[in-house]
Amino acid sequence: MKMRLSQLLASFAITLALLTILEVVTATVLPALGWYEYRLTFNVLIIIFLAIRLDSPIVPWMVMSLQVVHSLFSVEGWALGTFAGLIVMTSANYLKEVLHLTSALITMLTVQLFQLIWYVTVTMIICLKISNFDKFGMIMWSFIPGSILLSMISPLLFWTMEKIWRVPSEGGPRGVEI
Amino acid sequence: MKLIQESSKTKIVNNLIVGMLAVYGISQKQFNLSEPSLFHQVVTEVISPVQEGLANSKKSLSSLWDNYLSIVNTSKENNVLKKQISRLESDLTSMEEMRKENLRLKRLLTFTDEQPYNKIMAQVVGWDSSNEFKVIRLNKGTKHGIRTMAPVVTDHGLVGYVYRTTENYSDVLTILDQNNRVDIVVERTRTHGIVEGVFNFKCALKYITRNEPVEVGDKLITAGVGGIYPKGLKVGMITDITKENFGMTLSIEVVPSVDFDKLEEVLVLTPLDSGKSASLLPTQSPVIEEKKI
Repeated sequence: MKMRLSQLLASFAITLALLTILEVVTATVLPALGWYEYRLTFNVLIIIFLAIRLDSPIVPWMVMSLQVVHSLFSVEGWALGTFAGLIVMTSANYLKEVLHLTSALITMLTVQLFQLIWYVTVTMIICLKISNFDKFGMIMWSFIPGSILLSMISPLLFWTMEKIWRVPSEGGPRGVEI
Repeated sequence: MKLIQESSKTKIVNNLIVGMLAVYGISQKQFNLSEPSLFHQVVTEVISPVQEGLANSKKSLSSLWDNYLSIVNTSKENNVLKKQISRLESDLTSMEEMRKENLRLKRLLTFTDEQPYNKIMAQVVGWDSSNEFKVIRLNKGTKHGIRTMAPVVTDHGLVGYVYRTTENYSDVLTILDQNNRVDIVVERTRTHGIVEGVFNFKCALKYITRNEPVEVGDKLITAGVGGIYPKGLKVGMITDITKENFGMTLSIEVVPSVDFDKLEEVLVLTPLDSGKSASLLPTQSPVIEEKKI
């Protein structure tokens, strides 16, 4: 299924708006309600969706734009997540023949797998930057509870994203080609 | 076939370009100090008021959940009565909140008399949206006199320092963050060490040798070296000491003095003479230079 440029821009604009709302929820609403310890990194979930479900040469630029939005709410910056996003995209590309998100459980497991790839990449880069690999386990562990929660809500978010990107739910792993 | 090959080539080229940009971005990134770009400043100024509004509506959100949603399924008459009670309770809660806020502000003001600094009171409006960084956003910025590297405190103790700032908002790298290192002194023994953030809202005390007589319950205060924090601010308390079978130093767990779960208002300290402020605050502290990242 091909996608027109106008449709692509509209879908991408909605995705950016959705990410902004979700980042505000994570950075302000949840802490205001007493949820301090773990963050729900929705940018990771959205980028995993794009990596798995879209087949387009411009996805790397989309990943970068999403990370720029994320950097407004986090000192992490855009570069770290962009790099991790590219690694996730490349992994998804290699696994595309076996990725079929046919049920909520499979979606959760797949998302958890890609989150692990993401967090291993990010943790390794942070450890390299701070020249301290002793913290690898600690940083990695800090991601796990949030990532499990994210995996649990991933079917709902993927369903929403499928509507935004007009990807058929049962259309296989690479639902849309731009 | 040719079309597929071209598309594949474009993908590889785009991946390479974005990948190289990301690697360059990572190499330039500093996790302990940042100068926001114009784009970042403008967008932060647009988005942060929303965060501020939501942070301010905390009481309303709790009240809505506790007092409204819980009575949806009761009878109509009960609803009216309960709503009245809820309203009264909500008013009481608001008054109680105001009383508590007054107390907090009073304590802050008393605390400020002890510190020879300009004090800028600010409200916490958000937290960093990533798991690995413990950063808070304040509703005051350069317009109010806040500069990067300015220490941030409450009456309970040290919160962190200003990591980056825009005209109306500032991000503070808290002592819970692994990139923030605080030079401290153990109050009882005068032993020097460095506190840095670890997982689970706790900190670790580093570089304390095995023969130092530190104990659980010892209080830690800032040492005043490093150029960021003034001397004598409460940092935390030792809650666990582990002597490993190897190594020269102790493994020490510290609970911060500040309860970050309940952080609402903070004070940003700037030097009294604003003209001297820029020169008094070094661009990089020795601690940061020691582990430049």
